[in-house]
Amino acid sequence: MTSILVADDEPLYQHLLSVNLEKEGYQVITVGNGEEAVEMVSSRRPDMVILDILMPKLDGLSACERIREFSNIPIIMLTARGEEQDRVKGLNLGADDYVVKPFSATELIARVRAVLRRAETTDLISQNRYLVHSNLKIDLARAEVWKDNKQIYLSATEYRLLIQFAHHIGQVLTAEDLLSAVWGPQYRDDKEILWVSIARLRQKLEDNPHSPIHIVTRTGLGYLMPPLEKETP
Amino acid sequence: MPVISKLEKPQHLYRISEIIIQSDDWKKSLDEIMQIIRSILIFDNLAVYLLKEDHNLDVFYARAMGRGKRAEADSAWGEILANQVIEESNTILQKPEISPQTDRLDQPFLLGIPLRINRRSLGALILVRFGGPPFRLGNIKLAEFIAQQISLLIERQNLQMEYQIILDRNKQIQLQEDFISTISHELRNPLGFIKGYTTTLLRTDINWDIKTQHDFLEIIDRETDQLQGLIDNLLDSSRLQTGMMEMRFQNLPLDELIKNVIIHCQQHRPDLVTRLTYPDDLISINADKYRLSQVFENILTNAIKYAPGSDICITITQDETNTNVTIQDFGPGIPERYLPYIFDRFFRNPEQSPNIHGSGLGLFICEQIINAHHGSIVAKSEEGKGTTFIISIPAAFSLHQ
Repeated sequence: MTSILVADDEPLYQHLLSVNLEKEGYQVITVGNGEEAVEMVSSRRPDMVILDILMPKLDGLSACERIREFSNIPIIMLTARGEEQDRVKGLNLGADDYVVKPFSATELIARVRAVLRRAETTDLISQNRYLVHSNLKIDLARAEVWKDNKQIYLSATEYRLLIQFAHHIGQVLTAEDLLSAVWGPQYRDDKEILWVSIARLRQKLEDNPHSPIHIVTRTGLGYLMPPLEKETP
Repeated sequence: MPVISKLEKPQHLYRISEIIIQSDDWKKSLDEIMQIIRSILIFDNLAVYLLKEDHNLDVFYARAMGRGKRAEADSAWGEILANQVIEESNTILQKPEISPQTDRLDQPFLLGIPLRINRRSLGALILVRFGGPPFRLGNIKLAEFIAQQISLLIERQNLQMEYQIILDRNKQIQLQEDFISTISHELRNPLGFIKGYTTTLLRTDINWDIKTQHDFLEIIDRETDQLQGLIDNLLDSSRLQTGMMEMRFQNLPLDELIKNVIIHCQQHRPDLVTRLTYPDDLISINADKYRLSQVFENILTNAIKYAPGSDICITITQDETNTNVTIQDFGPGIPERYLPYIFDRFFRNPEQSPNIHGSGLGLFICEQIINAHHGSIVAKSEEGKGTTFIISIPAAFSLHQ
């Protein structure tokens, strides 16, 4: 049975969406905040998630961004009329569609069906919540990093830098690529801030920062997280 | 040259720069700087002129040091030169006609230096030497350095003033924006539910059973009331703000009025427990029945919202001067830091506002209504123990109106 996760802090919206979607034959899971929504996407693996924007703990836009780090699950955002920038932001963060509150029940159902139909013709839902690199483990749903089962606390920038590498294991990333992705295109020539950040990241992640195994320098080219050598049988 | 040799000791200049950077009072800082530059630069009078927004010059600071002290206002202060300096945006030297007979005070050597930040003109610094010696290149360079430092001081003071103005304005704008976002959220939610449940009922592809239909209609009804209440509050608040609220005073038995409010609240919250006590010989008061009910309903509804599950004690007492009503709950209470603001229009406890609906208008309206009765309303609260509202309506007002 197709299951849909509904995240809205208003119990009445949860109820409204549930009664309508259940009549369509979907199984509905409801949560009241963004943090739970991300957790549920990972643990219950629904076929679609509907995210309200204004939610406690983690708002809908941040939840959408977090989910997209590890899953291609179809996402519909619920936005308020007049908040155009929210809609644009949502779509930019990887949402598949949006429904504007107040909405009619039939419009909601039509959007849900359309998004699910589109998703069917593309790939299966794949998700990869944890990225592992030897003794390092990244929990993308919680934005947490663990080394030898001990949590490591990174700044937001350090975390974003790290997941750039983790998403491209074995690929050399140029300084320009990293600066544009993490700091923004206007910083693409500020190599020094990248150097400082990589040095700090190595201090936190590496057993021996002078001989790193997670973030390795390829002189003249850039940096990479090297592929792990397969153990020879 | 003695001046040059003094300039070789840069600690004076370091000290000036230090004073500028640490300054929080421009006048005190200028006084300190005067003390220092007197030992490295000879002058009798010094004046700082500032260019005002209307392009007039204003004296910002003036000191007479040597011979200038004798002549006070009669001596030269270089006002004309200041205008010229600002106009030409250049340092200007003015020498007097030297004649041995005249008083030295009538032979001022003037040095005018523009005060600028980037290219923007702030004013002019004027230095006066009566009867010489003439200003030499070393003196001029030093004076220009001091002019730059004074420019920084003035600019910083200007920016600080503007910053304060913007800060105050922002606070006001923030309050209004918070209100607009709260209100639009509060208006949108009931509207969204009404639209959502109506269209749910209207779905032609589904037959909802009678019980479900009834549930949906109840939600729609309740949300319509919610919307109505909010709109009433908005209108009341703007009427009260502009003094357009009309009061209809009449003699009222207060116990009956409060009992009715309780019954009304219990329709929505059947589990609400209240304890009402009042003297047997309660005298009627003169009040607007509808408005006063609104006050009690608001405070009770607040107690239900913010102190869920708590009993509510309502006590009416009367003395010669006042009729007092205390309404007490035993909920989590209001943090002390927010207590002074709870009657402000639009104010909401920022810790509660994400979880509990409200417009920030209720208590503002209550206070306005009580004021219109010449009474008072105060709140006392202790965190973890509960909140008490005390309303007093003067008896004199009750009797003579």
